[in-house]
Amino acid sequence: MYKKLGSYLALVAAYFRLNLRSQLEYRGAFLSQAVAMFLNNIVWIIFWGLFFHRFPVLRGWTMNDFITLWGIVAAGFGLAHMVCGNVLILASLIAKGQLDAWMMYPRALLPHILLGRMSATACGDALFGYLVYLILVKPDVPHFLLFTALTVSVAMAFVGFGVFTGSLSFYLGNAEALSEQWRFAMVTFSTYPATLFEGAVKLLLYTLIPAAFVGYLPVEALRSFSPGDAACAVGGAFAVLAIGVLAFYHGLGRYESGNLMEMRG
Amino acid sequence: MKALNKYLAVASVAARSNLAYFGEAASRLLFLAVILYIFMRLWKVTYTETGAAQLGGFSLEQMLWYLAVTESIMLSAPRVALLVDEDVRTGALTLQLVRPLAYPMYRLWTTMGERVVRFAVNGLAASVVAWVLVGPIPWNPLGLLALLVSLPLAFAIDFLGNFLIGLGAFWLEDTSGLVLIYSRITMILGGMLIPLEFFPDAVRPIMQALPFASMVYGPARAFVRPDLAELTVLVVRQGLAVLAFSVLIGLVYRMALRRVFANGG
Repeated sequence: MYKKLGSYLALVAAYFRLNLRSQLEYRGAFLSQAVAMFLNNIVWIIFWGLFFHRFPVLRGWTMNDFITLWGIVAAGFGLAHMVCGNVLILASLIAKGQLDAWMMYPRALLPHILLGRMSATACGDALFGYLVYLILVKPDVPHFLLFTALTVSVAMAFVGFGVFTGSLSFYLGNAEALSEQWRFAMVTFSTYPATLFEGAVKLLLYTLIPAAFVGYLPVEALRSFSPGDAACAVGGAFAVLAIGVLAFYHGLGRYESGNLMEMRG
Repeated sequence: MKALNKYLAVASVAARSNLAYFGEAASRLLFLAVILYIFMRLWKVTYTETGAAQLGGFSLEQMLWYLAVTESIMLSAPRVALLVDEDVRTGALTLQLVRPLAYPMYRLWTTMGERVVRFAVNGLAASVVAWVLVGPIPWNPLGLLALLVSLPLAFAIDFLGNFLIGLGAFWLEDTSGLVLIYSRITMILGGMLIPLEFFPDAVRPIMQALPFASMVYGPARAFVRPDLAELTVLVVRQGLAVLAFSVLIGLVYRMALRRVFANGG
């Protein structure tokens, strides 16, 4: 069990190195995309700065809590797509019948597909997330360790959610647009506290758009250093990942090859 | 008159071509609806917690309708700078130069045609969402007139800013970074996310005088809080911005054309 886990971690490290080198071949484009995403996120911090300048507390949340929220969501999202970049195009890979090449390898299919690509903008997200938390929130060591651990849980939830929405292509033919819009809704809702919402929408944030597990609960865990909230965030992330994996392997039975000739370097 | 007819025909073709891709335009509507819903909740909670009927001179209804207009403006922007950049890099610009159309005017009218359709679709959808979420704002014909007068000028300023960035391709390796910085500055300084009334008093007059405010904040505010004197000031500012940008583009375009080398074949 541990040997297998170690072997897969080695695979993750190998793919990460390979993908990073591949990105750095086009250094200018890579840097401009990463910096662009960093700047994009900064705009939101400015927005919240202006907002909290006028209204210092919103449903008990302060500017620091919103910075933490943006930090953890961006770092988790960044981490997820730096390592598992193919999750962003999974719906398209399935719809176009491009899984064949990945089926030839002795590794488990899903992790191997996901590891095959790195998103350049995700690097900007990850950098932004850790930096704003360190520089603006100035956490003590235990808070930073919890933050870092929770970014891994957030990343798991994003990957699981991406796998689930991408796997809809097995059932619907081409779920590219649906997957993208759904992901967009998840990212957008995750950057606001769940306390802003009520009724059915609040329920959605723990089910169909599980944004509470990547934004609200991890921040609550950090705010009060609460093991309960941290456990809920991690538990929710595992559940989302498990549902994504189940949806993928269940849908795989319906997969139709695109009969494409493909070469992978 | 003949020249105007020519460019109106260009705009009409661009508008009809955009209508043919209605599905693509419609796919952005979910984004718009989610954003407006979240902003509605954010401001509703803020108004409730402060117990104020008006914030920054805006009622809750006015705030959401303001955001409906600003989001519609921003989401209707065509990718002018990237198109100009592409024309420069691929050499397609040389083909445009031999046509009986001035290239900047051709791009201006294509953009206008495209943007009118996009804004109409977005504006209609945003109005429905705003109506459902907070109901109507008091009807004032001056508000509609203000929108009709200020929007074309706002679109023209935005076009000129983007066109100028696109021309940067004559000198720069990559203009996509500039495009992103421009759009993010417009989001913040243009008042897309938050009206300029919420900015610190010291910087507000400067921001109101900048062209970014004339593109987004000005038309949206004139629509929800119409005032003839303010509309006049807005239109004068917009006219000056159009004039200043046009002169600048004239100079840069002339310098750029000296760098065009065309080979037959």
